[in-house]
Amino acid sequence: MALYVLKRLLAAIPTLLLVAASVFFLMRLIPGDPALLVLGDAATPEAIADLRASMGLDRTLPVQFALWLSQLLGGDLGFSITSGEAVGPLILDRFGVTAAIVLAAVAIAVLLAVPAGMLAAWKQGSWGDIAAVSLATLLLSIPSFWLGLILLLVFGLKLGWVPVVGYVTFAENPWAALHYILLPIATLALVEIGVLIRMARASTIEVLRLDYIAHARAKGVPESRVLLRHAFPNAFAPTLTLVGLVLGNLLGGIAVIETVFTLPGLGRLLVDAIFARDYPVIQGVMLFIALVYVSVNLAVDLLYPVFDPRVAAE
Amino acid sequence: MKFRTALAALATACALAAPAAAQDLLRIRMNADIRSTDPGVNRDANTDGIAWHIVEGLVALRDDATVAQMLAERVDVSPDGLTYTFPLRAGVRFHNGQALTSADVAFAMQRYMRRETNWRCRADLDSAATRLTAVETPDDRTVVMRLEKPSALFLTILARPDCGQAGIWHRDSLNADGSWRAPIGTGPFRLGEWRRGQFVELTRFADYAALPGEPTGLAGNKTPLVERVRFTIIPDEAASRAALIAGNIDILPDARSRDLPDLRARPGFSVHSAPSMDLQTVLMQTRDPLLQDVRMRRAIALALDVPELVRAVSEGGSRPSRSPIPPGSAFNTPAMLEVPPRDLAQARRLAQEAGYRGQKLRIITTRRYEAFYEIAVVVQDMLKEAGIESELEVLEWATQLDRYSRGDYQMMAFGFSARLDPSLSFEMFTGPKATQPRKAWDNPAVQAMLDQTMAEGDPARRRSLFEAMQARLMEEVPIIALYSSTTHGVTPRHVQGYRSWAVDAPRAWGVRIVR
Repeated sequence: MALYVLKRLLAAIPTLLLVAASVFFLMRLIPGDPALLVLGDAATPEAIADLRASMGLDRTLPVQFALWLSQLLGGDLGFSITSGEAVGPLILDRFGVTAAIVLAAVAIAVLLAVPAGMLAAWKQGSWGDIAAVSLATLLLSIPSFWLGLILLLVFGLKLGWVPVVGYVTFAENPWAALHYILLPIATLALVEIGVLIRMARASTIEVLRLDYIAHARAKGVPESRVLLRHAFPNAFAPTLTLVGLVLGNLLGGIAVIETVFTLPGLGRLLVDAIFARDYPVIQGVMLFIALVYVSVNLAVDLLYPVFDPRVAAE
Repeated sequence: MKFRTALAALATACALAAPAAAQDLLRIRMNADIRSTDPGVNRDANTDGIAWHIVEGLVALRDDATVAQMLAERVDVSPDGLTYTFPLRAGVRFHNGQALTSADVAFAMQRYMRRETNWRCRADLDSAATRLTAVETPDDRTVVMRLEKPSALFLTILARPDCGQAGIWHRDSLNADGSWRAPIGTGPFRLGEWRRGQFVELTRFADYAALPGEPTGLAGNKTPLVERVRFTIIPDEAASRAALIAGNIDILPDARSRDLPDLRARPGFSVHSAPSMDLQTVLMQTRDPLLQDVRMRRAIALALDVPELVRAVSEGGSRPSRSPIPPGSAFNTPAMLEVPPRDLAQARRLAQEAGYRGQKLRIITTRRYEAFYEIAVVVQDMLKEAGIESELEVLEWATQLDRYSRGDYQMMAFGFSARLDPSLSFEMFTGPKATQPRKAWDNPAVQAMLDQTMAEGDPARRRSLFEAMQARLMEEVPIIALYSSTTHGVTPRHVQGYRSWAVDAPRAWGVRIVR
């Protein structure tokens, strides 16, 4: 197992290098000068040249890339050219906020959507199934920023149950922190519930049609045992793949939700950095997101055998 | 019933648990994080707005952008205009308890003028128009600054918010290696906590040496009346409005025009509007094959119904002005407020004479700033009525700024940030394109007049020079000045003493919470 993990991690290195090179050069193809953005419309050519030099942007692109790569290999992601902060700690700090919300939201979504989807599949064509499919379609159709704003207006503004803006860490005050992240978690969970209900339902329907389920039923195995022992574990495997993709995607930043709820997360950091052409931050965040994707996919692969022993055998 | 009871219990628990606002805490919305705490160095408008609560310069701007004394008791200018003497006010202390001395001023100014500091205004004080040659300290309470030649801009540069007001900080603001640590200023508030991405909190400076009288601009009486001020970062406009109504912030300093009718209708909220000193414009590239003909540029200007355009874009909140000198400036004159009427027939005739044959003009704009986009849309529509075709090129802001700085545009909806001296209001778009491609107006005769305004100390003579330049601007039309926007601050009933002003960022001194 350890060897397998090590192999997978080593295999990820070329991917990460490719991401690093692509992000570095593609960002520089986009028009826009960070020095000009810092200095604004009143900037003189001399001031822009001075600032570019102090940012290290006056060197050739290959030299800039080589310098960044050598820093990277030493574990240093550099410093933000707008705020001067070290990029590594900045990313970890912001990732903590995003991860807390995403993990909670996805956990809630999985706990609610997977059983709902499976039950809907079991009772396919019933009112319950129609209700589950309709709910999933509705939740999938609602843009997350709109849903977030509506929740904010109802529970923050009209009812006053939770604060509309702000953020407190769990370390500071767990109870207050919960109030600040309640609505973002709810928004994200609702959106993901839509996706997961459909996936769980579809994969369960597929499994329920297989011969071995018919065989089990013909043998007189009780229906509850057919579902819990034979159908659901097999149906969950494709859903797990989707959960992995969703997690990887969301852990890379939920910029829209972070903006609506004013959360200092990874997504907002990346969007702000792109607007400011803060190259070291963009490069660092993109690399980190790639690493998260690789790690989440690896974790999902390692979980597969739990639900499908054939994978372990292979 | 049980569900309702549970819901009510949950609601009560939530309401009780929501962090309550302290009476001594003033919470103000800020649309993005600050860049640093180093005044005038790594900065933007938000950074300037925090800095001016913490540090003060020798001089500061009043509401009408004239210069007043701040840390200086007065300013004595030698008859030849080359020597400025600043006797320092007695009793001024830094946040660490140390008394302000002339050595502190010299120390800060030396750092500002070092190239590696990257102070935004170093080039302004080392230019052909204004060159600072020496900062001297004849005694503990007196600072003398010497210029190479007379400059009408010198004091304004020292007072400009984007220059960090050339703020004087204690040398302990620096680390041992000379790098910036945190500001120890003389301002009404000291830096409390900067939690990046979340808020900047300031605390009242109990030993603040306030000037007598009323507050005006960044000058006058700046007594802090609350214990703490928290600038909360809320990027989203709708969330900011909701936060104000929900009572999560006390001041929304930059409400959108479209939200004003609703906020005005709500009992207990006050709207504080003030004309800004920025400038919304349409730039025209005078080197473009079509637009190099002044008749074509005049045709475009005549095709626009400027009052209607400004009414539509600002929702009636701003007044049209074809002058780059904002109406709030002491140098704005009645002649500058005249807006020529729209004349479609004349516009068509001039366009035809200039050889216009229905080519599509390209107007660059962005959605980053709502006004830029709306201006471009209305201009396109109005030009069409005069038979002039155009299309919009909507760019991301960084790209538009890049195109602007390279002069790579035919027409562009653009806004200039507040310039607090009338010479700078013209300078922002006047200059040689060969060395500064971003400049829209390249006319050596006008440049000579501009240079004259920068050296001229007499306000009346400066005013007449500006009027002459304004007349030339209307003839040559390298840009179409439209209006200076209006800042709308909104506060609930319990906030007293807050006023919007010419610069977008808010001021927390003189503001109290009365519940």
